[in-house]
Amino acid sequence: MSKADQLDEYRAAMREWLSANLPRRTAESDGAIPTEVTDEDVAAGRILQKTVYDAGYVGINIPTEYGGQGLSDAHQRIWVDESAGYDVPLPAGIASVVTMRVVLPTLLHNATEEQKREWIPRVLRGEDIWVQLLSEPDAGSDLAGIRTQARRADDKWILQGTKLWSSGAIHADYGICLARTDPNVPKHRGLTWFKVPLRDERVTVRPVRQVNGSEEFCEEFLDDVVVGDDMVIGSVNDGWKVANSMLMFERGAGHIDLSPSTSQSRTKQASDLVELTLNSVVSGSGTARGCVTGPMIAAQRTKDWVHEVLTRRITARLMRGAANPATSALIKLSIGTRGPDRAIAGMQIGGRNAIAWRSPGSAGEKAANNYVYGRQFAIAGGSNQIQRNIISERVLGLPREPSYDNEKPFRDVLRDARKWKCG
Amino acid sequence: MDDEDLTEEQRMLRRTTTQFIEEQLPVSAVRKLHDDPTGYDRTWLSRTADLGWYSMMIAEKYGGGSMTKHPLADLTTIADSVGRYLQPGPFIPMNVVGAAIAEFGTDAQREDLLPKIAAAEVVATWAPFDAAGEWDAGAKLEVSRDGEQVLLRGLRGFVPEAQSADYLLAAGRCDGEPVQVIVPIGTAGVGIEALSCYDLSRRMAEVCFDDVRLPAAAVLGAADTNATENLERQLQIAVVLACAETVGALDAMFAMTVEYSKDRIAFGRPIGSFQALKHVMADQLLYLESCKAATAEAAQVVDRGASDAAEVASMAAAYVDEYATLIAQECLQVHGGIGFTWEHDLHLYMRRIRTTTSIWCEKAWHYERICEVCAL
Repeated sequence: MSKADQLDEYRAAMREWLSANLPRRTAESDGAIPTEVTDEDVAAGRILQKTVYDAGYVGINIPTEYGGQGLSDAHQRIWVDESAGYDVPLPAGIASVVTMRVVLPTLLHNATEEQKREWIPRVLRGEDIWVQLLSEPDAGSDLAGIRTQARRADDKWILQGTKLWSSGAIHADYGICLARTDPNVPKHRGLTWFKVPLRDERVTVRPVRQVNGSEEFCEEFLDDVVVGDDMVIGSVNDGWKVANSMLMFERGAGHIDLSPSTSQSRTKQASDLVELTLNSVVSGSGTARGCVTGPMIAAQRTKDWVHEVLTRRITARLMRGAANPATSALIKLSIGTRGPDRAIAGMQIGGRNAIAWRSPGSAGEKAANNYVYGRQFAIAGGSNQIQRNIISERVLGLPREPSYDNEKPFRDVLRDARKWKCG
Repeated sequence: MDDEDLTEEQRMLRRTTTQFIEEQLPVSAVRKLHDDPTGYDRTWLSRTADLGWYSMMIAEKYGGGSMTKHPLADLTTIADSVGRYLQPGPFIPMNVVGAAIAEFGTDAQREDLLPKIAAAEVVATWAPFDAAGEWDAGAKLEVSRDGEQVLLRGLRGFVPEAQSADYLLAAGRCDGEPVQVIVPIGTAGVGIEALSCYDLSRRMAEVCFDDVRLPAAAVLGAADTNATENLERQLQIAVVLACAETVGALDAMFAMTVEYSKDRIAFGRPIGSFQALKHVMADQLLYLESCKAATAEAAQVVDRGASDAAEVASMAAAYVDEYATLIAQECLQVHGGIGFTWEHDLHLYMRRIRTTTSIWCEKAWHYERICEVCAL
């Protein structure tokens, strides 16, 4: 059988399995990542993920020794295509997305053989949900400036500090945590990654309520959490290297879970704006076309589409190994400029219907909630300004900014910064 | 288009094209043609034809042929070089007319004209706009039937390279329906009035049709063809080539800008080390890569003649129109005073980019088209 025939057969079997086993996407679920999940949802989601795993559709392109199917990227792409109309299991909402798209590839690239054989099958089966423990109350964009410490005591590590903005940590089992293992060297050279059990009694996880009312993000207090050397990911003090590969995945590249590009998906992308218009126009004026909002929606559709094709192109380049990994910052900057722009357009199109409304859940209310929240795309995962630094220095090769902290021991950095003169 | 995104065949095509241009007509030599009434040399034109500049959209049996099954995508690699090196001549309209005759012409029209277009033995251009520059689907050119003949009365505006053309494909209306007519420029009653062009390497003219008489066989395709869909398809091809040409020009301009910012010293630093300029250039790269991605995608979609080709072409056009202008303007900003000198090539690029986008990519118009196609 030819390769193409094999793929066709694989697709046909998958299609049959999907229609028999997974719920079809409804207008309500709409393929969105659930933001509010209960403990019951998580438990049910884990069972569903196990079902999909047992059918051979989780970890399709992951090597068999790590519990995957060992098939090609082309097989994985078929899953992306075919499963598009179904509610695929994301037991812990955004945390499951982070587990599969960020943590999983990071482990594949950086964990030891033994760690991969033990950890990855549990991830694929839905048994372990991971989150990233990166940002802190006092360090975000300057990620290498984190303050959480890991002290050596006998043959163990003791972690102390606070992490923030971990998506869905309340439902997660483990955190992949960046900590400072040597404060006596410059900031990039004293960092190490640890696997931290979030159910540990010395870890406290607290949800953070955000401007849109959701409690998707959490704060974690690590109060002398003890872990062994087997929980170190990558080499001690060489964590920045791991961080760079992880940030590439986080910026939306490096995984092949690409969204299919069809007219339907574009229609869907701008449908919220169309709905806003239909709610806003005075009765009798018909569709949006005759109004000023028509071209506004056309502009947003256009930019949604351009973002989609840009992401696909750069991801493909990175997957081929044909591009500088820093190129992924372009995808992040594209999201970061798109998000706020689109949120503002929503308010402009919604007009007065987006500041007061009769029925909860109206298009106007959604636009309003997105107005402040849309800015998060410009901040989370490295602000637009950070992405511009990365693009200009590491992609365009422009001369670096003078640095005030790269060459000195981290313990001196804060002291010296407080002496900064103004004017 | 970045090299890394091209196929092996396209990469070869790119190499041959740029090697030819650098030998025959680099930007310094293009400058010498600015005052030339035609804007290019016919011997040079036939050499560009040898490299396949006008034959990709034409079948092999008529002297054409492309390397792959994606002729338009292949052609965009040439369009990119045309923009990058500010090449003069009728590149976009020749290809549109070639594609139009190849796809919609009668056998006689194909046999007569396609080999000559592919070899650039004749210059053919396209005249879809009215005198105000509006896409009027032929409204301002009346075509009436008179026995075995047709009679043309009216105007076509902003016709690229009309001054040097041998044929033009004019959009008109016959009994209220859009048609296209192949007009030999020498026909009695055809008048050409040159316009002054912002792009110093381009020529444009208004063409008036003063009771021009042609055999009915000059109407493109079967006599009763309604040309609405053909015009749409030709527009999509023109848009893709215009985007690709613009991307090539932008890429050249942006590379010059990044280099300049690394070399120019102020306040004891290369100016490219200042965040205020770095962030501008990072944004420019994002827009440029987005223009490239949109163009490449549109080329594929239009190549396939997919059902959403009209929308996709218009989205690419609108995006390139907006951001090409922004990128070009910021290139000038980073260059500072030097960019205002005639000797510097920057203004030539700005003229080219603005001209190409104003003809084919006008944002407001493409947004209107998107509204229409998507029934917004």
